[in-house]
Amino acid sequence: CLTSTQLVENEEQFQKKLADVIVNAEKDVSVGVRLARRLPLPVENEETRPCIDLVVFIINLSFERSFQSVELSLKYVDPGFFLGKVCFLVTGARCWSVSSDRLQSVRKLATSLRCPLLYAEDQTVEGVNTAAARLLRVLKVTAGLTPWATGLSLSTLTRCTLSSDLEGDFD
Amino acid sequence: MMEGRSAMESPVTRLPTRRRTKSYGRSCFEASSRFAYTSGQLTILRIPTTREAPRARNIAERVDPEQVTLLIKNEWKLSYVTPLYRFRHTHLKKYSKHLSAFIAAEKQQGTAVEVGLETGYRVTFSTVLGIAETDEDAETVFIQIQSKPMFAATGDALKVVWSGWLTCVNGSPEYLHSLLPDFVSLPLFCSSGPENITVVVKSWFEKMFDCRFGSLGLDSTSLQWLCALWTGCHPDNNIRYLRLLWTLPTQPPLDVSYTVNPQDAWELWNSVRQEDSVDGTVGIDEVKHFMAGLESHFFRHFKIYLSSGTLRKVSTALGSAQQDGKVKILCSDYLATVLTLLTECAILKMPI
Repeated sequence: CLTSTQLVENEEQFQKKLADVIVNAEKDVSVGVRLARRLPLPVENEETRPCIDLVVFIINLSFERSFQSVELSLKYVDPGFFLGKVCFLVTGARCWSVSSDRLQSVRKLATSLRCPLLYAEDQTVEGVNTAAARLLRVLKVTAGLTPWATGLSLSTLTRCTLSSDLEGDFD
Repeated sequence: MMEGRSAMESPVTRLPTRRRTKSYGRSCFEASSRFAYTSGQLTILRIPTTREAPRARNIAERVDPEQVTLLIKNEWKLSYVTPLYRFRHTHLKKYSKHLSAFIAAEKQQGTAVEVGLETGYRVTFSTVLGIAETDEDAETVFIQIQSKPMFAATGDALKVVWSGWLTCVNGSPEYLHSLLPDFVSLPLFCSSGPENITVVVKSWFEKMFDCRFGSLGLDSTSLQWLCALWTGCHPDNNIRYLRLLWTLPTQPPLDVSYTVNPQDAWELWNSVRQEDSVDGTVGIDEVKHFMAGLESHFFRHFKIYLSSGTLRKVSTALGSAQQDGKVKILCSDYLATVLTLLTECAILKMPI
C-alpha cells in the first residue's frame, strides 16, 4: 500500500527529523513523505507528484514568521483537503518566552478551518518519535487503510475547538 | 499554601456569563480583553487587548521624590512571587531585623554571601506609598541592604550593596479577589545587586511567608506593547531613539540592532492609529500593525524577515526592557503604565 504525506514548515528543521522517523517506522505500508517550505509547490514536477493523502502544517510558536508563512500557504490548498486531509502541528507551545496570544491565534485558525491541532515536542528524540507515531496513525486513516474510519470522520472527532469560556465572542 | 478548595472559588465561576451582542465592525464595541489561563491552569485572567495610552503624570504628586529616584535609573531583574502569607506592612521594622540576622547567619555558615571586610549588613524595609493604583493593590515595599564596615565611624555614609522591591500595580481584580484573606499579593519582585544576596533574600521570603519565587521573562507581545507605548509618548517626552534588538536563528546566530529615528517612529505610530480609536486607549491591533510596519521596512532594505527571529530588547530614552527580564525605567512619568504591564506578566506566571 502506498501513502503520501506533505509536510510544510518554514524553518525546515523539524520536518526533516519527522520524515526520517516516519519513513523508518512503518514496515507494512510504504509511506512517502514530501517536504516543502511553503505552498504552492513548484509547477515543474506536477505530473510526477503522487496523490497527497495528508498535508501537515508545522508551526513553530517561537517565530511569528512561521505562522505567517502557514497563513499564506493555506490559500493554495484545494478546499477538498480541508475535509480531513489537513492537520496542524505546533511546536514550542510550552516555551516560556512564547506569548499566549500566538498559540491562541493558531487555535483560532485551526478551529475556523475545522482541522485537528497536534502539539509536538521537537527537542527530544521521544518527542519526535511520538509526533511521528501520531501522524502515522492519522495518515493511515486518511489514506483509507483503516476500515472503520475515514479522514473526515476522524477530523470531526479530533478537530480543534475553542472553549466558550476563553472566547466569548467566537461564534 | 492554598487549600485545594480555593481552586473551586477561583474566578472561573465569577466571570460574567452575559455574552456581548455581536456588533458589526465598530471597533469601540470590540471586547477589550481576552481570557488566558495562568501557568498553573487554575485561574483565568483577563488580558487586556486595549490599554490606556500612557499620559505623562508628574509622579512627584503621588510619590515621595526621594523614593522615586531609588526606583528609576537602576537596571532591575524581574521575578514573580506567589502570594505572601501573613505579610504585614506594619511589621517592616521586625522584618528588617530578621533579614539582617538571617544574612549574618548565612554568612557564618559560609553558604551564600561573600566574605569581605564588611561584618554586617543593615537592612531597611520601607513602604513606597503612591505606586499602587487601585484599592486592591497592596502597597509597594522597598528593601535596601547596606554594608556596615567593621571600623566605620558613626557618621560615615553606608554603601548600598543591594536593593529590591515588591509591587502590585493594577493587579487583575479577579485574581486579587480570589485570594484567601491572610494572603497579600505583591506579584512583581525587582532586584538589583549581587546574585548571591538576591538568593539569600529570596530564601528568607520563602521561609517567612511560604511563597515561591520564579524568574520572569518578557514575551514578545509585552516587548511590543512597550515599544508602541513608549513611541506614543514621543510628543510629550522625546524618546531620542527607538532601538530594537533581534536575534535570528541562523548558524551562527545573527544579532540585529535596529535603531529608528524617533520622529519617523512617531509618524509611523501616528499613521497606524485608527481614526475611530477611542482617544486615550491603544489596541493590540495597532501595536501589531506598528511592528509589522517596522519589520516590512527592514525587509525592504535588507530582505530579512525579522519575524523569523526573536525580539530580545526594546530601548528608548524612556526606558529599556529585555526578554530575559531586565528592565530599566528612566522616566518616572510613565512608571504606572510600565508597572501595570509588568504586574500583569507576573500574575500570568502564577503557578496556581
